[in-house]
Amino acid sequence: MMNPTVRWSLFLLLIPLLVLLAAAVMQIDGHAVDLDAIFVGSSMAHPLGCDALGRDLLSRLAEGLRLSLSVGIAVVCLGGVIGISIGIFAAWMGGWVDAVLMRFADIVLSFPGILLAIALAAMLGPGVENLIIALVAVGWVGFSRLTRAQVLALKHAPFVEASLAGGSSVRYIAVKHLLPNIAAPLLVEASFGLAAVVIGEAGLSFLGVGVQPPDASLGTMIREGTRLMLVEPLLVIWPGLILFLLVMAVNLLGDHLRDRLDVKGGHADA
Amino acid sequence: MLGQVCAIRIFQAVPTLLGVATLVFFLLHLVPGDPVDALLGETAMAADREAMRRALNLDLPLLQQYVSFLVGLFTGDWGNSIVDGRSVLVLIGERLPATAELAAVSLLLALVLALPLGYWAARHAGSARDFAAMSFSLLGVSIPNFWLGPMLMLLFSVILGWLPVSGMDAPGSIVLPAITLGTALAAILSRMARSSWLEAMSSDAMRTARASGVKEQVIWWRHAGRLAAVPVVTMFALQLGAVLGGAVITETVFDWPGLGLLTIEAIQRRDYPLVQGCVLIIALFYVIANLLADLLSLWLDPRQRHS
Repeated sequence: MMNPTVRWSLFLLLIPLLVLLAAAVMQIDGHAVDLDAIFVGSSMAHPLGCDALGRDLLSRLAEGLRLSLSVGIAVVCLGGVIGISIGIFAAWMGGWVDAVLMRFADIVLSFPGILLAIALAAMLGPGVENLIIALVAVGWVGFSRLTRAQVLALKHAPFVEASLAGGSSVRYIAVKHLLPNIAAPLLVEASFGLAAVVIGEAGLSFLGVGVQPPDASLGTMIREGTRLMLVEPLLVIWPGLILFLLVMAVNLLGDHLRDRLDVKGGHADA
Repeated sequence: MLGQVCAIRIFQAVPTLLGVATLVFFLLHLVPGDPVDALLGETAMAADREAMRRALNLDLPLLQQYVSFLVGLFTGDWGNSIVDGRSVLVLIGERLPATAELAAVSLLLALVLALPLGYWAARHAGSARDFAAMSFSLLGVSIPNFWLGPMLMLLFSVILGWLPVSGMDAPGSIVLPAITLGTALAAILSRMARSSWLEAMSSDAMRTARASGVKEQVIWWRHAGRLAAVPVVTMFALQLGAVLGGAVITETVFDWPGLGLLTIEAIQRRDYPLVQGCVLIIALFYVIANLLADLLSLWLDPRQRHS
């Protein structure tokens, strides 16, 4: 019997998955402008209708969703690798190295995350790569603080000292002994991080400092949809709904992981 | 004792503030691309570019720019806007009251909603009522405010016609932005209130109180309530700062003329001194809110003073 939280989470993912599947089957070009199809309603050719330029809404939603997921996964992986490495390094070295690195982390944490990402994305210029850089620059800190705290607790554990005495290299100890022992809280952090990054990407694109038209991101679609709300409200309802369902499903999975792995703390604030 | 610990904490915030200022400075000066190119376009005349460079102090060595930036920070000279030439601090000062008003109403709304909800969920922990309250909370943390805003606008302004769409002049115009900004805060606070109340209720002190015949209502509010208040108050103070981050998006959605909208306008016009000032002032408030949270929890929970 599947856990109810996981069941709910999969249920929420149903609509986003259907959108992806339907778009993959129908193979419509989301960039193709068709002036005869402007604001047309749902039909066999365009199941969710078309936008202000006559582009198929379903394929644009699928494109936005794929982008959100790829940016989300890329940022969590990159931020995770950087944050975990810095965390292990700081905890292992101790002394001034630890002090300097953690002071820097404190300073990054002294900004509301979204603000730092907005400023950085705006300075770097638009584009998906810069968007990823901006989000990683904010996202690594959580991983590094968590890793550092966990490694500090394990650093003098008998199995670590025994391995060190046996001549193992620090890298070997980090990968073989430390990482498997701190994987649970990191996994929880990663799942809440994914939800935050997905909202962050859409937020930056909504503000115009992320993905640029004509590429589709759920954020740019909400921005365009808001302008046309009086004419065709579905253009803002659909992308937001998909984003919301995705984020809620990921948050629920995070909650489940936290309870299952018995990790203290963790939060779902995006 | 408390005063001493507080003084140490306040003193510790100084290097953080300096670090924040340094990060903002280098963020705007070391990123690739020439701000003068961005402002004037690559086809601008050499003389114009040179004049702009001098006006922005970009002709000086980086270290000298940094030092004069720091000196300016302390002497109240935060530079002038490139777009209209007015002082950055004056521009920020003009927009601050609107953001303060929005933040205050949102936080109040969040508190009024979150405490009863958290209490209700904790009181009925494990039941369908708890599930309903926590589902609302999950909904609140998962809904992006740049979508919640347009949805509220669509329902209450366009379809029902009850409230103004945007701006801050019409009566009732603060309602929708405050709900948009306050929802996530309410969700986070209610989760926190529920878990701290439950934790407090499971302590030995509460069991003793119950065994000595203290009324259930009194235990929940007077005894456990006080214990549960520590993390809730701390979280609330942390949200004082976080709300400014959320305000950037909410103000943009509703065209609310506050600091957040000013930041986005400055970014769109590539008004670098103004971007720098806005980011810095928001970060400053954020650090102060974090410090406040720290001091409040020290004051409320004497055990922390010794750690």
